[in-house]
Amino acid sequence: MQSSTMGKRNKAWQWFIGSLTNHNSLAEYFEPLIQWVVPGWRTDLVRTRVHGIRHENKDMFSLILKPSRQWEGFQAGQYIELTVEKDGAWVSRFFSVSSSPTYFQRTGLIELSIRIQEKGNITPWLINALHRGSIVNLSQAMGEFTLPTQQQSICMIAGGSGITPFRSMLQQLSLSQAHNPQQSITLLYYARSAQHFLFKDEFKNFEKSHPNFHLKLMDSETVGNVSSAHIGLQNQLSANTHFYICGPSPMIMLTRRILESLNTKPDHIHYEFFGPEPLSLELESENTAVLFDRSHKQVENNNNQTLLELAESNAIKPVSGCRIGVCHQCICQKKSGVVYNTKTKTYSDTGAQEIQLCISVPVNDVVLDL
Amino acid sequence: MNMQANTATQTRQPDADPSTLDQFANELNKVRERTMKKVGKADAKYIRTLIRIQRLSDISGRILMVLGFIHPAYWVVGVIALATAKILDNMEIGHNVLHGQYDWMNDPNINSRKFEWDNAGDSASWKRYHNHEHHTYTNIIGKDRDFGYGLLRLSSDTRWKPKNLWQFFTYIALCLNFQWGIAYHEVAGERIFMGKRKKTSNLPITREQLKYAFFNKAARQLFKDYVFFPLICFPVFFQVLAGNFLANMIRDIWTNTIIFCGHFTENIHTFKASECENESQGQWYHRQILGSSNLEGGRLFHIMTGHLSCQMEHHLFPDVPARHYPEMAKEVRAICGKYNIPYNSAGFFKQYFSVVKRILHYSFPDKQSTPVQPA
Repeated sequence: MQSSTMGKRNKAWQWFIGSLTNHNSLAEYFEPLIQWVVPGWRTDLVRTRVHGIRHENKDMFSLILKPSRQWEGFQAGQYIELTVEKDGAWVSRFFSVSSSPTYFQRTGLIELSIRIQEKGNITPWLINALHRGSIVNLSQAMGEFTLPTQQQSICMIAGGSGITPFRSMLQQLSLSQAHNPQQSITLLYYARSAQHFLFKDEFKNFEKSHPNFHLKLMDSETVGNVSSAHIGLQNQLSANTHFYICGPSPMIMLTRRILESLNTKPDHIHYEFFGPEPLSLELESENTAVLFDRSHKQVENNNNQTLLELAESNAIKPVSGCRIGVCHQCICQKKSGVVYNTKTKTYSDTGAQEIQLCISVPVNDVVLDL
Repeated sequence: MNMQANTATQTRQPDADPSTLDQFANELNKVRERTMKKVGKADAKYIRTLIRIQRLSDISGRILMVLGFIHPAYWVVGVIALATAKILDNMEIGHNVLHGQYDWMNDPNINSRKFEWDNAGDSASWKRYHNHEHHTYTNIIGKDRDFGYGLLRLSSDTRWKPKNLWQFFTYIALCLNFQWGIAYHEVAGERIFMGKRKKTSNLPITREQLKYAFFNKAARQLFKDYVFFPLICFPVFFQVLAGNFLANMIRDIWTNTIIFCGHFTENIHTFKASECENESQGQWYHRQILGSSNLEGGRLFHIMTGHLSCQMEHHLFPDVPARHYPEMAKEVRAICGKYNIPYNSAGFFKQYFSVVKRILHYSFPDKQSTPVQPA
């Protein structure tokens, strides 16, 4: 009862503001004027100053940020969406916070540890474009992949830059001294080569002071990918062990399959991708797939159909018009993935973008807000 | 060559053979590519600056109008400022943003999916018929209802009816209330309130949704300009009401005049649906040029018209940020010269005069019918 009158009042207010400003809120109407004084300010994001940049190794760096007071904090393991203006366009990427909440409470700083994607549009640019004092925008923290405190036995499996949420969790345990000594934690950390292990010294120090923490650095050059033998060898693991997996999607898929073959209970397997819901892992074939997020439909993309044709042949009916890329009615948000624009003959960025469905052909796995 | 022959409907030139038009299309595509490479930071800055100017003139216009009780000059300046805000919002900002020209910015408030403008028409409805119907089927009689808006007879393709005798006055009425014409266009086309329901419809929403969107947007605009702002300035209620009314009307006259100059000038071509089936890109470009005309003027003039003064370039490249059109126009004009394609560009008064002439000319039945047969 109460909530329905509240809802009505809200709706009336929305209508009123909409009629005066043609925007959803007064802040949106004034946003361009505010940006005049405060460049880069956004109604929907937290304006944040870059405090510094730390080079971790050849292809990783950590961005040290000082979020403004509007930022509501986070739990160890959560991620944020980082939005930066590049050549007049807002570009966004998801990153786990790699530092801990306790560190944030003490210093007001958070860290994002970012791998430079060699052929990427954003990450190689980021490291050159940002410096101390630059302005970026943050979303509030999101994600359910957080530090478990109740479980007795935990196995963390990290692949490459997937180490970041675990670093946050371990730093949290180390700084807050809240670690339950009964809790056993194993970290299996896979990296491309011996040079690619991040935060190695930190983890080793943590191991020294916490006898129930076991660190296994897995150099893929010598030991290869995740295997059942690697997991089986850890004799501190039991049937009650909860597994936490973070890394590139093929690695997550592989690890999940291995754990299932080892009869691990499905509710004991936790994993994390960055950003929007990834494509379902059950897909068997080599083909790429398109996930229509709102329709909860995932379809295989086997011939070079446009996204509009693909949607329509799967009984999803997006609004469309001219079908030749002129009218912009079929514009839709791509949450992730690369598409080829048949009109401009260009490839898209990998992050979130507005695309025209009628002239976009998916190149790899694509997630659409449709 | 008398005027009579000039104003008569012309069909596509028979000598425009497909392979030449393919080359023509290639050259235009290169102009587009070169321009798109330049699109970036400067464009984002430009559109943000314009939105700021629009906001400032919107706010100051409404305040100055109230100060009219001190001296009427404040009121006059206020009306002009508000009219300017509405013109900028509808043309250089709204029209171009709704064409997707700034979608690449990924800005939540400057994109074609979300933008809503300060006029009576629901922007989603406008996008359906304008971006699709008008821009895809430009000047195809029977498909592009923008050609005469179902009210005016502007070529011999349409049969003369007695109501065309007074169509000049219909035109004046449309001009003064243009935002309502825009708002009602799709509702009329779908025959929501009047007329026999069409057998086929491509409307992607239900008729109820269309009706709701029409009334909702109209109510919002009426509430803002004729209820809310006059009421909160109660002692000067009528002063504000009249000022808002006038500002809307100035915007209506201006947008209508510019748009008519873009499509209904003397040498505009019209097309039959059959001519345009399975068009190549070159033929499509060709039709866009033959169906549009440009206005010449300075930078401020271009901005105030939302660059619809470069109507041909806009029809060739509807999603290229419009501030590049004047530069592109030089190249397009040279390419048209090379392929012997007429490039219809002239000053405002010359083009407007020929629009008036066309409206008057087709008010009367054709004297002797000499239809030009397509080749």
